Amino acid sequence: MSQNRREFLKTFAAIGATAATLTAVTPKVTKGKSTRPLSPNRKGVLVDTTVCIGCGKCEWACKTAHDIEPGSINDYNTKLTDNSQRRPSENALTVVNQIDISNANSGKIKLQCMHCEHPACESACIVGAITKQENGAVTWDTDKCIGCRYCMVACPFQIPAFEYHKALDPKIVKCDFCINRTTEGKLPACVEICPVGTLTYGTRDELVIEAKRRIGKDPDKYFNQVFGEYEVGGTSWLYLADKNLVDGVFPKLGTNPAPGVSESIQHGLFAYFVPPVALYALLGGVMWLSKNKEKNEGGH
Amino acid sequence: MRKLIYLILFAFLTTTFAQNKLSKLHSKQNLECTTCHECEVPTKTNPCLALCPRDKSKGISNVYKLEKAAKVFEINNIKGEKDIYAPVVFSHKVHAEMSEMNNGCITCHHYNPPGEIVKCTFCHEVDRNKSTINMPDLKSAYHRQCMDCHKTWEEKTKCENCHTLNNNYKPENSESSTVKINLPLKRPITKVYETEKYIKGKLVSFHHNDHVELFGLECTSCHKDESCQSCHNQKLDFKKTIDTTRHSRCESCHSAEIKNQCAKCHSEKETAPFNHFTNTGFDITKYHSKNSCKSCHAKAGNFSGLKAQCQSCHKWNGDNFDHSITGLKLSEDHIDLECSDCHENNNYKKPTCSSCHDEAEGFIVPQKLPGEKVN
Repeated sequence: MSQNRREFLKTFAAIGATAATLTAVTPKVTKGKSTRPLSPNRKGVLVDTTVCIGCGKCEWACKTAHDIEPGSINDYNTKLTDNSQRRPSENALTVVNQIDISNANSGKIKLQCMHCEHPACESACIVGAITKQENGAVTWDTDKCIGCRYCMVACPFQIPAFEYHKALDPKIVKCDFCINRTTEGKLPACVEICPVGTLTYGTRDELVIEAKRRIGKDPDKYFNQVFGEYEVGGTSWLYLADKNLVDGVFPKLGTNPAPGVSESIQHGLFAYFVPPVALYALLGGVMWLSKNKEKNEGGH
Repeated sequence: MRKLIYLILFAFLTTTFAQNKLSKLHSKQNLECTTCHECEVPTKTNPCLALCPRDKSKGISNVYKLEKAAKVFEINNIKGEKDIYAPVVFSHKVHAEMSEMNNGCITCHHYNPPGEIVKCTFCHEVDRNKSTINMPDLKSAYHRQCMDCHKTWEEKTKCENCHTLNNNYKPENSESSTVKINLPLKRPITKVYETEKYIKGKLVSFHHNDHVELFGLECTSCHKDESCQSCHNQKLDFKKTIDTTRHSRCESCHSAEIKNQCAKCHSEKETAPFNHFTNTGFDITKYHSKNSCKSCHAKAGNFSGLKAQCQSCHKWNGDNFDHSITGLKLSEDHIDLECSDCHENNNYKKPTCSSCHDEAEGFIVPQKLPGEKVN
């Protein structure tokens, strides 16, 4: 082959540059934000971690409501003291941890799906099995799912779990905001059982106002942030705490919706079929050029 | 039409009357504006009322008397689908008395508009799926109120500390069941404070038990603004105490000693608890053990100047002394005798019979008594 290494790299860089420019220019139209407007009545939950006593009743109620073997309700408050940061899993859609593992008197925090305003999992799902419902819940459709687990990778809070132990028909499992209960007019199971009212269920917009009212009323008690108000474009579950939850409990996340990054690359690459066509055209051109060169060289 | 006019007039009058009434009460109340109004300039249209005003400046104990309230309450206004727990029996009297060592009644009765004491349900809705998101529902409010203190000395959250299981509950035992869950009190016998500045006597021994049992001090005379767990926490170690209050707690009684008699309290080693015999030479264990300090040391703060002779306090002579208070009623033969006929040398403990009777014949107390025993 007459094309030397230097020339090959040059051509390759040129293709790369073209592709990159195309991705940078075209995606402006798509963005990460869902074009579907969010309902003004969408619900949320305000978690006041300063109130939580860590009894674990919400974990028990959640399992009971989702047909997971719950065990004895009396065993739950001991789970907190095992000094580990547990994660929601296929056997526990929600867990309560100590905010500060080393300090038994620190606040307690309940973790579950945050039900993002612009869910990355919904965006990442290639078959549309995950839906942001009108009431704010992000739900998962078992019939559509193909088990690719892209949603698990996409979730900025690492919430969706997968039933790895099931050889046949494993499912993606995560908190569904008790959609079956809320459509009947009931409260989510965890909200209903909480003995101290850590969890407040209501319209998300009102909850944000209420959260700020509580901070304003007691500025010494609360860290001045409603976690979830703006994080990854906003979440349905909002948190109040006496300290900064970022970098302790939650990862540091921007205020842009999580799908923004992934979608701009994905959608950009395939927008109007321009990048693939351009790529093939380029490749064709390179082939054509090198073919000509070969001919010329052969003519000698 | 006339009816309508009357109706409007009636509505107008009642509203203006109600407003006048409120404004009068306003002025009487002597409150900070910010206690009830959240914004700086409240207007009639936007009074920006605080949702849950907590006025800590004054208690309600000045207005209401504890004796009028029930001793125990049965809290049974929350019903669930499946009630595994029986109604909670709340010992109001005990808690109210304890609260005097903290914030007083206002610890729980945090909202007190003029008039009758408002029930919790006045603000806190029973239904969890409630209309307002600003206020905890009744169940949450109860739990928060109780656990705010109770959880501080219990690491785990034990429901059974307050709730009895439904099948173990008997309403007739409600009063006695509060005794069962009563938290044990941990009291020091002696507390030794270590002082840093006073080098001549670094240790101050405070005999807590003496002050309570012997001198009859009320808890509230020392314990103010105290958290519950300073007495109820079973893990407390009273020996390791660093003095933070200095002289302020002792001052109300020991002001004279604090001024110029440091060595009365400050010592190089732990002192022994107060003993009336070793400290003053007068044994009170036999006849005066049930007396309070005041019954002899009548002058407040002055404990000196009393003599050990009975007559220095008791104005007794042979005529006016009723011997039966000693437990022995004298017979008619003995009642007219002089005290010293039996009690020689002012010793009233042991009588002798030998001045009249022959001891060889068995006239010895207590084998033979000069009267009959009474209780």
